[in-house]
Amino acid sequence: MALKLQQSIAALGSNILLAGLLVVSLVLVTLYFREGEEGVLHQVQSSVSGAVIPLKFASGAIGSGTDSASAALDNLSASEATLEALRQQNQELREQIARLEEYRQEANRLEDLLGLKEYYVLDTVPARVTSRTAHAWENTITINRGERHGIIAGLPVMGQSGIIGQVVSVSGASATVRLLQDPQSGVAVLIQSNRAEGIVRGSLDGLLYLENLDVNAGVQVGDVLITSGLGGRYFRGLLVGTVVRVDENQGGETRRIVVLANASARSLEEVLVIVKMDSEGDAPLPSDTPPPEDGNGDEGESGVDGDGA
Amino acid sequence: MERDTFILAAGAFLAVLLQLVLAPNIALFSAMPNFCMIYALIAAITRPAGNAALLVAFAFGMLFDLLGNAPVGAMAFLLVLAAFGASRVFTVLNNDTLFMPLAIFIVAVFLVEVFYAVFMVSTGIAASLLEALVLRALPCAFYNCAVGLPLLAFVRRLFDEPGRPSSRAHDSMHVSLTSGKNLGKVRTKHRF
Repeated sequence: MALKLQQSIAALGSNILLAGLLVVSLVLVTLYFREGEEGVLHQVQSSVSGAVIPLKFASGAIGSGTDSASAALDNLSASEATLEALRQQNQELREQIARLEEYRQEANRLEDLLGLKEYYVLDTVPARVTSRTAHAWENTITINRGERHGIIAGLPVMGQSGIIGQVVSVSGASATVRLLQDPQSGVAVLIQSNRAEGIVRGSLDGLLYLENLDVNAGVQVGDVLITSGLGGRYFRGLLVGTVVRVDENQGGETRRIVVLANASARSLEEVLVIVKMDSEGDAPLPSDTPPPEDGNGDEGESGVDGDGA
Repeated sequence: MERDTFILAAGAFLAVLLQLVLAPNIALFSAMPNFCMIYALIAAITRPAGNAALLVAFAFGMLFDLLGNAPVGAMAFLLVLAAFGASRVFTVLNNDTLFMPLAIFIVAVFLVEVFYAVFMVSTGIAASLLEALVLRALPCAFYNCAVGLPLLAFVRRLFDEPGRPSSRAHDSMHVSLTSGKNLGKVRTKHRF
């Protein structure tokens, strides 16, 4: 009898604990979705992320070591043909740089003549990538610059030669950057050649897709994509990537356009957080961005420009 | 400190360390092991008696949620359910072979991953359920099993060292009916 009573009490206690923990979990999930980016749970998340920075440093060190070893192995095993192709590419790039320098100087002269400001003047904070995400459903990196260095959530982040993502959470000395390849990322873009507008979205397979492009807009492999500034999150005119594949269906009504990001996320070590950009078309900072009232503002609400947290 | 408690505490410390330091560096085709889940399920299966398994599952679920940018509470909810189910099923079906805990672990891992995918898709991730299952949930579940099954076997061996009561005896609830005298082992049925 006593045994049965003891069992009943134990089972009841266990069930009450189970129910309690499940209710607490559900309440937390609900609160997380209802509160804004400045909410308590988001803040706790940022704080925890900041508190484990030393461990993330260790993780980053292991990752860098592995990448270096892998790159060294690749270099050692590179064939003569590969090396020759790289030499040729190097030569072409040198010629291209010389040509671009000419254009830049010409543009400077013209700007001086017209009394215009330099089109793109970036105010950036350099940061080092300390680690990658420990979460399979996310594609994020942690950088060693945070609130103390003027970083706020929403700022765009550049790699060596183009946009790589956006700051999504910040703690004192670190920040989390959601990469373009994350399925919750989205950035409003222009095709540089014909100014057609679309949205580049990340996906679970790690590729970038150009979506929401006008049916009649021409797009072909090699087209360069730059940020359009619509949605108010990214500054206008930043390089995003290049179209590498266009799969059209028979009627041409829908297209699947794959984009190669200009900056490779895998090889990231240092990044630049853009805190300010002087250009005639720059977008205001996210914190003081009122929702656009014209037709272009729709994208801001549909998760464009990385607001997926 | 009691030896079992020490093993569980050391396991918890290792799980956090592995999740933060090792997991990001051993990602395979975008699949990454979830050491928080592995630890919580191993704790639930190897020590199913009492409420510790539920608390461990909740704590590690919360930790996993807080370490990323995913909704806080989602993994905690699923791990609490999985730990409860795994510990109760193990208590009922345990036959002192290694097969049963491994089978329960595999089922629990797959269920957690699948329901997490459903949750992520329903809360707005830009992917279809099929993509979420094929590209994340199933690869992650396989990876978790590949990492977790040897660990589970190892932890069971730790708990089943010679001279210690077997896991079966430990998992069944021992009850002393009289003052200090153990009159026998009474296998209890848990209420679901």
